[in-house]
Amino acid sequence: MTDFSHIVQFFFSGLTTGSMYALIAVSLVIVYKVSLLICFAQGEFFVIGALTMVTLVSKGLPMPLAFVLSILISTVLGALVQRVLIKPIQNASIGNLIVMTIAISLALRGSALLIWGKESHILKPFSSGAPIPVLGATLQPQVLWIIGITIIVLFMIWIFFEKTMLGIAMRACAENRLGASLMGISTNKAALLAWAWGSGIGALAGMAVAPLLFMQYGSGVMPMVKGFIAVSIGGLSSIVGSVVAGFLLGTVEAYTIGLISSKFSDTIVFSLLMVVLIFKPSGLFGKG
Amino acid sequence: MKLLKQFWWILPLVFIAIYPVTLAGGSPYWSGLLIFVGIYVILAVGLDLLMGYTGQISVGHAAYFAIGAYTSGVLTAKYGFSPLGAMVIGMALTGAVAWALGRPVLALKEYYLAMATLAFNEIVVTLIIGLEWLTGGASGLRDIPPFSIFGLVLSNHMHYYYFVWAIVIIVIASSLAVVRSPFGRTLLAIHSDEIAARAFGVDTAKYKTRIFVLASVFASMAGSLFTHYMGFLAPDDFGVLTSINILVMLFLGGIGTIYGPILGAFFMKLLPELTYQIHDYELLLNGLILIVVLVFMPKGLFGIFTGIWEKMFVRADK
Amino acid sequence: MGKDVRKGRQMTEKHDAILSVNNVTKAFEGIHALEEVSFDVRSGHIKALIGPNGAGKTTLLNAINGILPPDSGHIHFLDHDVVGHSADKVAGLGLSRTFQLIRMFTINNATVLDNVLLGAHIQLKPNLFESIFRRGKVNKAEKVARDKAMELLRFVGLEKAADATPGSLPFGNQRLVELARSLMTEPKMLLLDEPASGLNDTEVESFTELLRSIRQKGITILLVEHNMKLVMNIADDIVVLDFGKKLAEGTPQAICANPEVIKAYLGAAQSECRLES
Repeated sequence: MTDFSHIVQFFFSGLTTGSMYALIAVSLVIVYKVSLLICFAQGEFFVIGALTMVTLVSKGLPMPLAFVLSILISTVLGALVQRVLIKPIQNASIGNLIVMTIAISLALRGSALLIWGKESHILKPFSSGAPIPVLGATLQPQVLWIIGITIIVLFMIWIFFEKTMLGIAMRACAENRLGASLMGISTNKAALLAWAWGSGIGALAGMAVAPLLFMQYGSGVMPMVKGFIAVSIGGLSSIVGSVVAGFLLGTVEAYTIGLISSKFSDTIVFSLLMVVLIFKPSGLFGKG
Repeated sequence: MKLLKQFWWILPLVFIAIYPVTLAGGSPYWSGLLIFVGIYVILAVGLDLLMGYTGQISVGHAAYFAIGAYTSGVLTAKYGFSPLGAMVIGMALTGAVAWALGRPVLALKEYYLAMATLAFNEIVVTLIIGLEWLTGGASGLRDIPPFSIFGLVLSNHMHYYYFVWAIVIIVIASSLAVVRSPFGRTLLAIHSDEIAARAFGVDTAKYKTRIFVLASVFASMAGSLFTHYMGFLAPDDFGVLTSINILVMLFLGGIGTIYGPILGAFFMKLLPELTYQIHDYELLLNGLILIVVLVFMPKGLFGIFTGIWEKMFVRADK
Repeated sequence: MGKDVRKGRQMTEKHDAILSVNNVTKAFEGIHALEEVSFDVRSGHIKALIGPNGAGKTTLLNAINGILPPDSGHIHFLDHDVVGHSADKVAGLGLSRTFQLIRMFTINNATVLDNVLLGAHIQLKPNLFESIFRRGKVNKAEKVARDKAMELLRFVGLEKAADATPGSLPFGNQRLVELARSLMTEPKMLLLDEPASGLNDTEVESFTELLRSIRQKGITILLVEHNMKLVMNIADDIVVLDFGKKLAEGTPQAICANPEVIKAYLGAAQSECRLES
């Protein structure tokens, strides 16, 4: 029997996965806005960030240090990938570029498998504390961290892309390459930065939810796909749209799993994606 | 020399015909392996028609492999259908699905198309897992009888090997026929420049859908062949990872050549045999192979071979 | 009812418009690309469409051949209202078009001949079943198409380039391949979008001759062009667009003498006008 406490519980679930999807969606949009590429490998940064932090913590590093280091490592990895693998073929056909990001995702995932094995790894929550009872449901403190991190990241993105010269120039890149270079940023540098941002945010998302999910080498695939679903709903060129769509997707999914069926929730979500793609490919907020 | 050029295809055919009896010494291990190769050749060649020639990216080709496989499996294991009949039904069902999806999905571009194909693959897999009562769900479908044609049971691995490769040859020959015809030229035009193709009277949606149906029907056939060889089915074999494996075979061998995917399937299926503990390295290896191909040899192995061949013949003709 | 009346009817039919553009309007986010443009093109004529850049000429061609339908208005081609038809349907009716930026098929090292052969698609109507099971029929039709393609390449003087890739040809020759490809569709009318752009004077002269031969075969041409020498030499009549509106329409001499046209567009090119009249 579904009672109100369940409704609230599902909401918290939705909030958790929703933030995850929102962050991944945002990272996809940032990379797309600057380099017109959707990175299929985004899910792998999600995992690598989380598992790196697990490893660092298990080696005895204090959590905050591990946190910062993991972000750094993922960011550098993302930039490296862009410079070494994407830039050489940046003028290839879109089909080849898509396949390249798929290849990168395989390589990263394969590496993660070799490094961390097939087992699931658990990360301690960022703060110790008992679950908080809210309206009959329980709220894990980690969820507050997740929401907090999401808000901070979105705020940082806003500041960077709206208020800093570099950020504004990067935005210009996707729309007008010549104009962007006149503003003092080469498209190469912009793409590199975009990938760094993207992998960093993806890793952050992974690290934030790791205490609540079991992370293993392949855990990034679904979040990436769901992140893309959020982007499709929200619009490829809209950061706001992706965030909203991410939370929407998370919530809808949580309620579908809870109230309708957990067996077919993915079927429903993927069918939803196909419907959106077929009937309004530019998303709810995006331009044509 | 000219005779060799015209009838070179006899060589591989002879090889295929005598291989199990001679070189493999009748070993079920090697003929089993080649059955797998054959099945993946069908999958990769079909994908080549769709991606290499028509330029439609598909990251979910395994969906049609699945529909054919499970239709054959369920109908024969649970409802006593004849394997041949079940295979034909599977082909018809897959064709119908591809035909229905064709127009709306193939109208999408690039990323959206890739994601739509991926989404459909996931939908098929989640349905297979979810509809346990029908498909056996995650624990799989068992007790699938071997293939039989009008009562003649192909339980002998060698007989099945010849049967599978007969179908593979038919698929290869049909695909070559299609691409070396005005139909093939039209597909290439669609790949090159859809707007220009339309300006020349090409109903691009119609042609894209038709080749999509053909590729999917081929995949369905491969699925049925797979089912009766394995005797059991598990949904894990039909996910996006399998689709990507087919993609890697296609790119490694040489996309847009028909011969390329054949080479790619051989390479990717035989390579693990030469290096033992490969399973954990498979993901990484696939990724690396694909990266290397994309950056250094976009024309794949077949491109390298034709390059060498041409150099040899140019010198000979001089 | 005698032979004369019938002959008379035939003569009026010949002067009927093969293409009739009526009050075509198209706006893009507030900008009026085309405003109530109307004109006819007579069967067997060569009509030139001229005007400054941004006047809406390519937009008009896009509307006519179905790539980007107009917001309002009618376009009749051979008695069919083609507004709303897809581009491939319009091509099937016999209207073939070239593009301002050359669009050649290049995948898989397509040759010049491959490109021209694609023009045969409309006649060949390739069919999946036949490609596999009726090779004899397909091969026979392909041979006929090949012969015709070579003949067209000879017509434009490029038969030696049949096996080259279009990208390796000089720009002017690529334009000729485009022409051959369009002629392959057995069009009743050609829409040419700046076919002479990038051609030098000698090339323009031979191109003019080609257009003359095409007109002689009974094919109507609507020609968007900036090269006034070519226009004056070949056009039977001219329509002028400016800011999406029809500014003037008439014989080359009349257009040349039209002060509004001179002010809006001809300016320095006036001398080319005078040379020919």
